[in-house]
Amino acid sequence: MRAVRPWKFLLPALAGLALSACATPPPASHKQARAEFERTNDPLEPTNRVFYKVNNVLDEALLRPAAVAYKDVLPDPAREGVHNVLTNLATPMTLANDMLSGRPRLAGTSFMRFLINTTLGGLGLFDVAAKLGYPAHSTDFGETLAIWGVPEGPYLYLPVFGPSDPRDALGEGVGIAGDPLGWVGTGTVVTALRWSRTGISALDARSRVLGEISAVKRTALDPYATFRSLYRQHRRAQIAKLRAATGGTVPAWYPAPQGTHP
Amino acid sequence: MTVPCPLPTRRAVLALPAALVLAAGPARAATAPAAFIRATGEALVKVLNGPDPEAEKSAALQRIIDARVDVAGIARFCLGRFWRVATPAERTEYEKLFRRVLVLNVTAKVGAYKGVAFAIGRAVPRAEGTMVATTVTRPGQAPAEVDWLVKPVDGRDRIIDVVAEGTSLRVTQRSDYASYISRHGGDVGALIAALRHQVGRTG
Repeated sequence: MRAVRPWKFLLPALAGLALSACATPPPASHKQARAEFERTNDPLEPTNRVFYKVNNVLDEALLRPAAVAYKDVLPDPAREGVHNVLTNLATPMTLANDMLSGRPRLAGTSFMRFLINTTLGGLGLFDVAAKLGYPAHSTDFGETLAIWGVPEGPYLYLPVFGPSDPRDALGEGVGIAGDPLGWVGTGTVVTALRWSRTGISALDARSRVLGEISAVKRTALDPYATFRSLYRQHRRAQIAKLRAATGGTVPAWYPAPQGTHP
Repeated sequence: MTVPCPLPTRRAVLALPAALVLAAGPARAATAPAAFIRATGEALVKVLNGPDPEAEKSAALQRIIDARVDVAGIARFCLGRFWRVATPAERTEYEKLFRRVLVLNVTAKVGAYKGVAFAIGRAVPRAEGTMVATTVTRPGQAPAEVDWLVKPVDGRDRIIDVVAEGTSLRVTQRSDYASYISRHGGDVGALIAALRHQVGRTG
């Protein structure tokens, strides 16, 4: 039996809500307000704010308390080990995206990281590769789409997943469906393991930003708008970094072209 | 196959003075902000890792902010298009509150930054000033890339923005304020009331 995929049900519901509630743009006569509306590029803001509230309730009731408990119960090294295992499990997907976005140096790093950490690192428990000069990075399909020239599109706030845009929502879907670990095996145990990984990933990710998210909620006058700005800036910075990572993997013995320096 | 030459070639020796002359302009423009950020960072680290009680550390941080950050300029940037519609009285009140909120937000984190260290990276000229890269490390935390935008204000270098992991402090703050004011009928007074509430609540 195939695992239940919640987004299959969420997406039509989302589309329905999106069509029903659109923000009214300021009149064209009010030039500055209109320009700001276009720059903000959040035509679904009323709907997005509803989902922001829903996610906030879910977070306050479930995820945040669970993440706090996770941080209280497990000592630092244990949580670090869990994080390393999760990062290692995600490395094949990063490797695929490094290659799809045409970044051979990053792909080489991902390949070496997976090889070293799965073996020497005890199935990913220890990040030995980082100490050997292969630092961690992550590349997702949303970033690959950006490198391919797909535009960002308007802001989207998705139920459960949170801040996004059409490009990242597609990237997220492809990332889940295309994960090689999702293809391995069938049966109750495999399904249970897969959902455990999803759950622990959520705990790990949330527990690492406890202070940051509380700080935004405490200091921002409009946390929704602040998270929107932070998400976009952060994604654009990640994409700019990936765009600049054009280093090749030329072997040391290969004659350097005339007039260039390493 | 080219072999790396251990000795400078004749052409390189001849080109050297010209390269130095060409590099002197932009290089000096970029090293001054880098030195400024190094000095600022050293002052911050000294306070944060020092033995003083938190109240004294907060006072010291406040002095560093006033001496090295263009608070008035950042305040104006964060109000965006609403700066022009604000009355002179509103502007004065807003600038005063903005500074208080900034100081409160910075000093609230004093304890969390014990053991902080930083390393200076590249300084890159930008349209608005010079962006100086640093890597900030804290015990038990992943290193963070923090960039500082430096611009001369009234002839002295001042910090006009801080960019942490690709997110700009002033751009984020401006989005927050713009959205808040827009949702309150474009009334700058509503923002001032909210800031006053923030200062009263935390200070």
